[in-house]
Amino acid sequence: MPETLRRTALFEAHRTLGARLVPFGGFEMPVQYTSILREHAAVRTHAGLFDLSHMAQFGLRGAAVGAWAETLTVNLVANMKPGQARYNIFTNERGGAHDDVIFYRLDADRWLLVVNAGNAEKMAQILSAAATPDVEIVNQHGETALIAIQGPKSLAIFGGFVDADLAAMKYYSCVETRVRGIPAVVARTGYTGEDGFEIFCAADFATDLWDALLAEGRPAGLEPAGLGARDVLRLEAGMPLYGHELTEDITPLQAGLVWAVKLAKPAFVGRAALEAQLAAGDYARIAGLLLDGRVPARSGYPVLAGDHRVGEVRSGSTAPSVENKNIATALVAPSAAPFGTRLDVEIRGTRYPAGVVPLPFYKRPK
Amino acid sequence: MPQPAGLLYSKEHEWVKLDGDTATVGITDYAQHSLGDIVYVELPRVGATLPQFGNIGVVESVKAVSDIYTPIGGEVLEINDALEGDPALLNREPFGAGWLFKIKIADQAETGNLLSPESYDELTQE
Repeated sequence: MPETLRRTALFEAHRTLGARLVPFGGFEMPVQYTSILREHAAVRTHAGLFDLSHMAQFGLRGAAVGAWAETLTVNLVANMKPGQARYNIFTNERGGAHDDVIFYRLDADRWLLVVNAGNAEKMAQILSAAATPDVEIVNQHGETALIAIQGPKSLAIFGGFVDADLAAMKYYSCVETRVRGIPAVVARTGYTGEDGFEIFCAADFATDLWDALLAEGRPAGLEPAGLGARDVLRLEAGMPLYGHELTEDITPLQAGLVWAVKLAKPAFVGRAALEAQLAAGDYARIAGLLLDGRVPARSGYPVLAGDHRVGEVRSGSTAPSVENKNIATALVAPSAAPFGTRLDVEIRGTRYPAGVVPLPFYKRPK
Repeated sequence: MPQPAGLLYSKEHEWVKLDGDTATVGITDYAQHSLGDIVYVELPRVGATLPQFGNIGVVESVKAVSDIYTPIGGEVLEINDALEGDPALLNREPFGAGWLFKIKIADQAETGNLLSPESYDELTQE
């Protein structure tokens, strides 16, 4: 049975731009407009414009949201101030990840929660199963558009559109403001390793905003950028992608996100399992690999230490921002994880050498 | 991109330029456009004997690995070294400097299994 794919409010805009569209998270989304490498370069040197409206958004309301969310996730939530955004992970009883998300606190009682498109239904069920009378959950999927501008020229291009003072915004802050008169939430967040902003507005305004941003930004080097470029950018920046570095069976500890796991919280789903995992210390973990040669590593390829299989590649790509070398993340046995360890990736029956390196592979220049 | 005259084609979007008992093989503009940015090309060994339509290597784009097949059988005489350092050449000049390999044709009759330019055009219009 053919999958019925949803479309964001910007679907026609993508078609007009000649985007190549692919199924992603139940939506028909642009993987590229011109070329993945060109869009990647635009983000690293000027700016790229992304339609992320396929991601699921929930409005959370009530004084109890923070404490409630803390029982379902690994990180702190209740101490977030209005105007703060924070990365977090919803966990299962084994400490594995249901999804990685961002909470945005708009004011004392109003929050925005953004989850991955592919987990929209799962997360809606998890949230509703955990619902209590003092937390209101509003599923905004499809009603609110999300557009991201990412790259060093983001502030210069977008600043003039917004009532709020974007230059003063700290990384991972958010503000309710107007964008060319339209009510919007703007956050200084992103998934590329560059400076940038994410813009939440009603879906009805999305096309006008998208077109206005491109008209203003193209002379400054802004280009529309698709999911293909987004994946290379986030991998270079060492950011996990759900389904690859985080899954129901890969915990935040294994994914290297120990900073986000606050075991001192009194109670949250998976706490006991994560405590035990941390204490035992012998868990397979995500390692960054830099391949010696020109053949790319891809998800699923075996990783070997000598003749022993020690893990598998979770994500891999050629990396224009890492001297065009081939990079990968791999879930490997702890013995294979120390920086500098020499491993092999098996590609079509042949072993190709690689070294374990710290993440991220790329950091933007100061 | 205009297609040079005098080529034959395979259903897998390779082209063949015949020159007596040798042939030059490449992929078409349609193929390179579908693939997107090419980042790696794995070619057969010089001296290898290939069957017609055999899977003889891969072309890797940013997102995917694609098998390549030889449109004609025979012994590999030469491979295009330029693609090792500059795989994007295959995107820029698929019919020219981005050729893949040259082969000594084992059986001229195999050219009868290939598509004419008109038939290939029809294939790509679908």
